[in-house]
Amino acid sequence: MPTQDRSDDRIALLQGTLDLLILKTLLPGPVHGQGVARRIQRQSEEVFFVDHGSLYLALQRLEDKKWISAKWGLSENNRKARFYSLTAKGREQLVEKISEWRRLARAMAMVLDAPLED
Amino acid sequence: MFWRRRSPDDFAEEIRSHLELEADELQREGVSEREAHWKAMREFGNVRAAQERFYMKGRWIWLDKVMRDVRFGMRSLWKTPGFTVTAVLTLALGVGANTAVFSVMNAVLLKSLPVEDPQSVVYVKTSGAPRRANNTGDWQTSLSYPVYDALRREKKVLSDVMAYVPLANDKIGVRIGAQPEEAEADMVSGNFFSGLGVKMARGRGFIPSDETDHSPIAVLSAKYWTARFASDPEVVGKTIYVKGVPLTIAGVAAAGFEGVEPGHSTDLWIPLQNSEALNAWGAPFRKGKSYAEVPNWWCLRMVARLAPGVSRAQAAERLQGVFKAAAYISLGAPLAGEKPPVLSFDEAKNFPGYEEEWGKPLRMLMAMVGLVLLIAMTNIVMLLMARNATRQKEFSLRLALGAQRGELLRQLLVESLLLVTLGGALAWAFALGATRMLGIWAHIDSSLSPDRIVLLATLVVLLLSAVLFGLAPFRTAVAGGAELALKTSAATSGTDAGKTRTGKIVVALQMALCVVLLVGGGLLVRTLQNLQNIPLGIRTEGLLVFGVSQPNATTGTQSVQFYEELMRRLRALPGVEAVTVMGNRVGSGWSNNNNAMVDGKEPQVAGGGSTMQRNNYVGADFFHTLGIPIVMGREFTEVDTPTSQQVAVVSELFAQRFLPNVNPLGHHINGNSKKDDVVIVGVAKNNKYTSMNEEPIPMIWYHYAQAGEPMAMHVEMHVNGDPMSMLPSARKVVASMDPNIPLVLPMTQRAQFEQSISQQLMFARLAEFFGVLAVVLVATGLYGTLAYRVNMRTAEIGVRMAVGARRGQVVWMILRDSLILTGVGVLVGVPLAMLVARALSTSLYGVKAMDAMSYIVAVFGVAMVALAASAVPAGRAASVDPLIALRAE
Repeated sequence: MPTQDRSDDRIALLQGTLDLLILKTLLPGPVHGQGVARRIQRQSEEVFFVDHGSLYLALQRLEDKKWISAKWGLSENNRKARFYSLTAKGREQLVEKISEWRRLARAMAMVLDAPLED
Repeated sequence: MFWRRRSPDDFAEEIRSHLELEADELQREGVSEREAHWKAMREFGNVRAAQERFYMKGRWIWLDKVMRDVRFGMRSLWKTPGFTVTAVLTLALGVGANTAVFSVMNAVLLKSLPVEDPQSVVYVKTSGAPRRANNTGDWQTSLSYPVYDALRREKKVLSDVMAYVPLANDKIGVRIGAQPEEAEADMVSGNFFSGLGVKMARGRGFIPSDETDHSPIAVLSAKYWTARFASDPEVVGKTIYVKGVPLTIAGVAAAGFEGVEPGHSTDLWIPLQNSEALNAWGAPFRKGKSYAEVPNWWCLRMVARLAPGVSRAQAAERLQGVFKAAAYISLGAPLAGEKPPVLSFDEAKNFPGYEEEWGKPLRMLMAMVGLVLLIAMTNIVMLLMARNATRQKEFSLRLALGAQRGELLRQLLVESLLLVTLGGALAWAFALGATRMLGIWAHIDSSLSPDRIVLLATLVVLLLSAVLFGLAPFRTAVAGGAELALKTSAATSGTDAGKTRTGKIVVALQMALCVVLLVGGGLLVRTLQNLQNIPLGIRTEGLLVFGVSQPNATTGTQSVQFYEELMRRLRALPGVEAVTVMGNRVGSGWSNNNNAMVDGKEPQVAGGGSTMQRNNYVGADFFHTLGIPIVMGREFTEVDTPTSQQVAVVSELFAQRFLPNVNPLGHHINGNSKKDDVVIVGVAKNNKYTSMNEEPIPMIWYHYAQAGEPMAMHVEMHVNGDPMSMLPSARKVVASMDPNIPLVLPMTQRAQFEQSISQQLMFARLAEFFGVLAVVLVATGLYGTLAYRVNMRTAEIGVRMAVGARRGQVVWMILRDSLILTGVGVLVGVPLAMLVARALSTSLYGVKAMDAMSYIVAVFGVAMVALAASAVPAGRAASVDPLIALRAE
């Protein structure tokens, strides 16, 4: 279990959302694991807390599904790193997952925002 | 999976790189180098856990663990070779014996003929032949040609009727190359293969026109083709000489089909013939007529296929009328008071009629080996319990270190599975060998080898034992719980009263079973001895017997000339004392039975006893050669010729029963007409004729030369030294007379008589074997258990000796324990043995089921085994050094 202190406004990721976030992060181009973690945290304005162990296993899972591919390379500061990039299949999945997520979010919002009925 | 799995090392590498990248980035954000490194680690969390999850991902974890258990199990079995070998051998013997006996039982009692749709195939049976008919072969399966002809027309009831008849009583002479050999051959109807639905591996089967044309062709069995022709693919079209008649090989039957003769494996089949050389049963033509033209000769066997929707009972009922009419063709109406024969149909078992002869002994044997298996299993369970109790510390430690109970159970199961796999493989090999041996002993040449059903049964037994062996020691193994790891006292482990009580019950039970097996085995061994020591009335030492059937004698004179010349040449061989011939070989089970008249009248027997007599046709010097004493008159000599007065020798019993209180010499047998009149010239001592354990029946010996018909004879030679060493010379003499004649079933006369009790012999030998096996198993089990219990009490013994107990007292303490167990075992075992002995009583000879000696020996035997098995551990216990024992605390 991660033992670091949790800031109060960080929330754990919903089941299944990590895959979508990873795919989205990889859309612009190849990124290594640490970069993916940072980007997700940054882009969610530090709201999402990413368990790194889970992240790497998720990356492996996506790789096994052939949605992303991986290759060892050098980072900008000359460190050896494993770079992940989207495959064609991954791209399709991303489009599909995004629209799915949007529908879900909209529905959630509609229910939550609905005036109280009695 | 096709791609290479990513290695855990690669994953670890990635995590390392992540930590470096993260540290770099943190430094860039202004964190100190040291701090950045720690922070990156902290952010990541549990690296090990992530790696473990990666390792487990997508892997069949369960299998992985099992593989680890297998490796561990093999190591731990390897470390205790004594235990492993004992357990594996015990299991192999127990399961192997069961597989072998079940395999024989399956083949003999359960399996159907290997033909198409065996449910609708039936053996045709009769209650017997009509009174004035005569019969060759088994009384209930021999039928006449008119019956065959009548039944095969009833297509609505029997869609096919297949007739078959052996070409000889035993084997016939066949020549393929230069040497004559023996083969088992049947003459069969044209629809034999098509009606049974037996396919051909090569060439063609018979067709109806082969029967009507008496085609000179043959079909070989796959077994014979393999054994004699090395599965030559070009065999079809070759010539084979059967009794000197050239036949073309037309085909080879599909593998697995060995004919329809019970217990025999037929080598070749030929279509029904119409020639003297190839007549039914190798008999000569009667008054120039073949078997098919003598309507009252019941010699054919039949198997039929029921028409669809007809049951056996219905078929028998609907055909009884037709059958009866055909049975009396040429005989006229049944005699007054004669019961006409009744038709019936029998299931097409692989071994028809074997149920009666073998059913009981086989079931008894099955029960015996079942007991042996039970003993073997309890033995292994006790061994495992003992072994795992000493491993309690190991298990406790593992529990203390966080192992789950499930994991321990899995490990025990895997270990037992390993044992069972080893034992099972060995058992199967053992069973294969044993079934072959059983086949040889029982003189069954059809295959008794285990088939798929037997394999399945064996696997089920093995699987059950694997589970049993895994679960039984589980409780003992984990009984200590995790706390035991912290304790060191031997006294705390394994002396729980409940557990030792279970052990005691099991040992006592084993002793009881052992008593049962020893009593049963003892009774059968006594039976065996009694059977072997039955006085035969014949001196069997130095007697060699073989059959010689002259192929081309058509008259009695030719036949006599041939055999007289043969005897003359054999007598001339060096080392030969005497030579004679006989029609039925003594000890082979064959006999002629009839009710001859004495002095022209039906013989009157005081008290209305049976008037049946047996007879045999023999040559000059018969009684001298076989060492049968003549008590009155003379035996056959050179003065008796085909043309001289017909003479007979009778047995003492014959004289007592049919000619009481008179001098039997000079009285007549038959005596109605000059032609059949035979004068009694001698009285011989009673002797065995058909088998070793037959009841005596009045006996007449006729001179074979005066029979007036050609006959197939057996030659009996009395020689100096080993009878079998005379065989090559005898073979040469026979070949010098006719190269087409083989020696049929040459063997010593002693062996021939022993064959007549082969079933009892085999049964007794097996019982002896399993009895000994059981005793060995019980002894090892007992030794193991006692040794284990003494081991557990080392500390107690040390204390006792430290406070002044003497050696003898300690030994007695241990011995008393096992003597009490023996006492209980005997008390339970003796009544059980009595029950078993009563069930056995019909298989006993010359010994009673309640034979006190057998019981005493059995009880004594068990006691000895118990004492021997306790002596060693007791001695060891007494030599325990109190100091060492106490230090172990």
